[in-house]
Amino acid sequence: MNNEQKLRNIFAEALQININLVVDDLTYNSIPEWDSIAHMTLISEIDNAFDTMLDTDDVLDMSSFAKAKEILAKYDVQF
Amino acid sequence: MFYNIQQYGGQQAIITKERQLTYIELQQLADSYLFTSENKELIVLLGDNEVEIVAAYIAALQARHAVMLLSPALNRELLIQIVSNYRPRWIVAINNSEEIQLQGYVQRNKMLERLEDVRTAIHPELAVLLSTSGTTGSHKFVRLSYRNLQANAQSIADYLELNQTERAILNLPLSYSYGLSILNSHLQVGASVLLTGESIIAKSFWSFVQEQQATSLPGVPFTYQMLQRVGFMKMDLPHLKTLTQAGGRLDQRLVQLFGEYARDNNKRFYVMYGQTEAAPRISYVPSDRLLEKPSTIGIAIPGGQLSLDPESNELIYYGENVMLGYAESLEDLAKGDVCNGVLHTGDVATVDEDGYYTITGRMKRFVKLFGLRINLDEVERKLEALLAQPVACTGNDDKLIVVTESEVLVDAIKQHVQELYKLHPTAFRVKVLEQIPRFANGKINYSALKDE
Repeated sequence: MNNEQKLRNIFAEALQININLVVDDLTYNSIPEWDSIAHMTLISEIDNAFDTMLDTDDVLDMSSFAKAKEILAKYDVQF
Repeated sequence: MFYNIQQYGGQQAIITKERQLTYIELQQLADSYLFTSENKELIVLLGDNEVEIVAAYIAALQARHAVMLLSPALNRELLIQIVSNYRPRWIVAINNSEEIQLQGYVQRNKMLERLEDVRTAIHPELAVLLSTSGTTGSHKFVRLSYRNLQANAQSIADYLELNQTERAILNLPLSYSYGLSILNSHLQVGASVLLTGESIIAKSFWSFVQEQQATSLPGVPFTYQMLQRVGFMKMDLPHLKTLTQAGGRLDQRLVQLFGEYARDNNKRFYVMYGQTEAAPRISYVPSDRLLEKPSTIGIAIPGGQLSLDPESNELIYYGENVMLGYAESLEDLAKGDVCNGVLHTGDVATVDEDGYYTITGRMKRFVKLFGLRINLDEVERKLEALLAQPVACTGNDDKLIVVTESEVLVDAIKQHVQELYKLHPTAFRVKVLEQIPRFANGKINYSALKDE
């Protein structure tokens, strides 16, 4: 499984949505499932799966699936 | 009264991302809500953290009508049921009033108005109705009087030492008693309220905090978990001087962490306790004693008193902010004060030599069978450990009820309960439900369970 797939699975799992809905322009608060509680779950799942400890700015910045990839790239996760 | 806001004139009242209103402008906006009637009416406000809702709320209070605040996230069916049950004269639903087509109501000016002319009897002192269970709710509301709200607004302003220079973030829903109390206590002193619906994990929330130089931030336990994770303690927020916490018990580790942060950064952190039934504030821990008393709910708010029931150790609160009573139907709105300033909190507590209270459990999670007090949470834990399956316990003072989702477990449960508690078979009952009712967060919904 490549990192893109891995991240999509994490999103689907944390937000409890169908994986087909996890697309680049999926954004925070655009669906009821992605609320603040789900966001915190998402962050902690990402930290676990990619062995990162996301910075404050990155936690707050991660407002879409595309943005998540961009941020993780800074932590040497290749997409 | 906190809602007589004209006295504060040109001072900033409400600030949002889009607009800023002085107290005069807020009053003008309130005046655009024409709740004209010879009788006392019920008004439903459906909407959170919007300037228009604040204005309609103030207008309703000034006109001495009764206001029911509902969450816009409320399930449609429940909303229809509540409206048909309580028959409000007006419904103010900002942004989505076109969508809300209710039978028997027409859109008039900025609100929906009931077509039929029915006289409803509402007690003259009734000011606000708040749900006890948020969006999952029932038809049960807490009846708060003008005096209840005023007393609590004043107490909060006293112990938090609020004054006109405060610029308080208000991102908790207005339909939630903690959120509403922030509005009331700040209007009381002519301070500014920074109104937003955004969560602390939105980046734009923090730019709002910074640009508007917010001086205080409220939070429920989950907010503090998030604050810790988003690195709040490393943010540079020189204007932010006060943090408040309520809405449930905060993990002691976080109390300690934020307490130390506040001490080291010349800020104040207030851990508080309350119930909607008390409008809602009951107690607080003075910020300079928090690190000494991190597991307590503190002392009674100014003007209030706490004591323990000598027999059950139930925490009992006395104060002017104790509700008039509950309402479960339209008829109940005519009722007066049935509590007389005394609130049985349902929490079991202890008190230390300095008069600080600590909550140790919930009263209602006990049943008393043949004089024996049985802790329902403990029964649940023991049975789940034995069966490795979820069970839920409820009951009253003559019967313990154990609910399972699996028919095949019934005999095993009966046997375990008999063995563990030496209970006679007539003293308990095992019930099978397809699903144990739960809240969205996974916790068992005991009030729904009781209704089953």
